[in-house]
Amino acid sequence: MNFDWTPEHQAFRERLRAFLKAELPDNWESIAHHGPGSAEITAFSRQFCGRLAAAGMLFPHWPVSMGGKGLDAWYQTILAEEMWAAGEPRGAQYMNVNWIGPTLMKYGSEQQKKTLLPPIVAGNAIWCQGFSEPNSGSDLASLRTRAVLDAGEYVINGQKIWTSYAGLADNCFLLTRTSDDRKRGITILIVPMDTPGITVRQIPSIIGEGDIHEVFFDDVIVPESARFGDEGQAWEIISYSLRNERLGIPRYHLARAALDRAVALLKARGDWKGEAVKIEAAKAAALTETARNACYAIVDKRVKEQPIGPEASTARYNVVMAERAVSEFVVEYLPQALIDAEPYLKMHHQRGIVAGIASGAAEIQLNIIATEVLELPREAR
Amino acid sequence: MELALSDDQVQILDAIDTLAKPYASVPIHDISFALTSAELTRELAEGGFLDVAAMEELGPETAALVVERLARLPFAVEAAASALVRPLLDSELPRPLCLIEEGALGRAVRYLAPGATVVMVGSGGVRSFVATADHVAEAHDESIFAYPMAVLKAQPAEADLRQYNVPASEVLTQWRIGLAAEASGLMAAALAATVTYTSERKQFGLPIATFQALRHRLAEAQVVTNGAYWMTMKAAATRDSGDAALAALHAQEAARRVTYDFHQFLGAMGMTLEHPLHLWTYRLKALTSELGGRGANALAAAEAIWG
Ligand SMILES: Cc1cc2nc3c(=O)[nH]c(=O)nc-3n(C[C@H](O)[C@H](O)[C@H](O)COP(=O)(O)OP(=O)(O)OC[C@H]3O[C@@H](n4cnc5c(N)ncnc54)[C@H](O)[C@@H]3O)c2cc1C
Repeated sequence: MNFDWTPEHQAFRERLRAFLKAELPDNWESIAHHGPGSAEITAFSRQFCGRLAAAGMLFPHWPVSMGGKGLDAWYQTILAEEMWAAGEPRGAQYMNVNWIGPTLMKYGSEQQKKTLLPPIVAGNAIWCQGFSEPNSGSDLASLRTRAVLDAGEYVINGQKIWTSYAGLADNCFLLTRTSDDRKRGITILIVPMDTPGITVRQIPSIIGEGDIHEVFFDDVIVPESARFGDEGQAWEIISYSLRNERLGIPRYHLARAALDRAVALLKARGDWKGEAVKIEAAKAAALTETARNACYAIVDKRVKEQPIGPEASTARYNVVMAERAVSEFVVEYLPQALIDAEPYLKMHHQRGIVAGIASGAAEIQLNIIATEVLELPREAR
Repeated sequence: MELALSDDQVQILDAIDTLAKPYASVPIHDISFALTSAELTRELAEGGFLDVAAMEELGPETAALVVERLARLPFAVEAAASALVRPLLDSELPRPLCLIEEGALGRAVRYLAPGATVVMVGSGGVRSFVATADHVAEAHDESIFAYPMAVLKAQPAEADLRQYNVPASEVLTQWRIGLAAEASGLMAAALAATVTYTSERKQFGLPIATFQALRHRLAEAQVVTNGAYWMTMKAAATRDSGDAALAALHAQEAARRVTYDFHQFLGAMGMTLEHPLHLWTYRLKALTSELGGRGANALAAAEAIWG
């Protein structure tokens, strides 16, 4: 085993850092302060991602046939670590790079690829993911937003919720019900967010701006060509997509960066003394590094094109523990005013609760580990 | 980055599994609290499995893998100190090796017996001596921790200690890696035994492993056990003092988190000597107190990372 970066990987990281240094404006912290889903970062990202693309670093891990450089998944990981540590100037467009683009490439029609990929490749496309509904969270397959095919058009009625970035998105990757079969009755439609009949409401939250929304669909009409894949193919397609998404945000890295920042502040204030604070900081670091290693083990598999199984759930649960430990440390040892004044600490404090819920709740990960890793007899239902 | 095992490593682990097959379960009617086998220990030593760290293409990381694998056996084998610390000092030192912190006189030491090499680490550097009956208080065969242990009651005069040119910090780093590796293997074995038991034992007409209260805690145990493995491997590969302290800290945190749960899930069966669970969990308990426990390992990690 070898836990060192290759010179090529390290050089890529240095290039990214240099790029960020050159491209982020002096007032970047005041923009980043609003969070990745905010209007401020979204507007910024539409310029920034174009420049990142021009520098060949928006999607280095995509195959050459997609306009990428065909580099291994470590590059995607390094890219994500550096971007998130800098306050995620890609805004919502990190999703395009991680899974929307690859999913379009794999399952899209020629027409869809022709129209939907170029804006992504140009770094100017905001997507949202319309999966969850008020009554369908962890039990996603129970979703009820209906799409009825009538004379070459789908008519959509229903409601989505918790939809990140919906307020500013150009397109929605929407899960709809086209028949009663629990999983095979679900169909993906790609719906432009300016289609008449769509209403978006931001949900006031404690996790920062622009993140979660309600999206209502009232007789929204899209052509049959908006269907992505076949009717009933959604479950297969999103299983592929979510595998790519699960490692999307390098939260272990963000958590460690926040922890290092917190320790630096404590030192500057003369508060890095006594045993208690050091012990707690080290415990939090043990969790961020455990999570990092568990995530890296998965990237390593992806690089070798080995199938990724339930170990992704193990990694996710490690990440949840790490995020929480760092948030708790920050709240316990730093004065409130300082957390508020430090954009990255504040963001961490606000978002420490997210990892346990978004893209599959922590308990669902434990269910998967129990059944698929430990192979316990199935839960009584 | 390369996180898969090499072909050599896979072969070595396979060879250990083959060699250890006769020792994979507890002999019927054996209800010893600390199970050991001189035969197994001899076979491992003769097979060179405890000397892999010194081989260039294998190194400490393979030694850590060997320690992790051996810790899964119900039989206790002194592997960690021999495989990870001995190569730093003198590969001919008589086994078993007993690592102690300076000033630990009066404490129970794992594997201590006349003939064992005691390695003392501390501000006085790294020193060793071969224990005789004079140094060992009432050598128990058994202990409350499922390891053979005995209290060190005396040590030779300064002049009779062998002094090494190796910094104490290096020995501590390897000690921590060994501790983490051993704890990882112990947790993996204890988890596997608990999974088997709870999958078979029925109450209310169902295997008790179908109840979510148990499933989730077992799944959490899998998460921390897996984490301990990766932290160990990273520390063994980098040989960095901060990584090693984090690995030892995480292993001790994890051990503390899982041991009572595992016994809990076996009900009263978890209190018997008939079921082997204690062979792993009580060894884990011994390891949680080593090197000053979580607090001291956390402080060592904080010092190495942030100064
Ligand atoms: C910041 C954020 C962004 C999000 N962005 C999006 C987005 O862009 N698009 C989108 O579609 N969705 C999004 N979501 C929604 C997210 O996918 C859901 O919140 C998640 O799937 C959980 O569903 P829920 O909130 O309805 O919780 P519920 O499913 O109601 O779960 C509540 C609690 O019950 C537990 N629980 C549920 N079922 C079980 C079970 N079988 N066993 C044990 N425990 C169980 C859960 O683990 C959880 O602790 C986002 C969520 C957050 C927090």
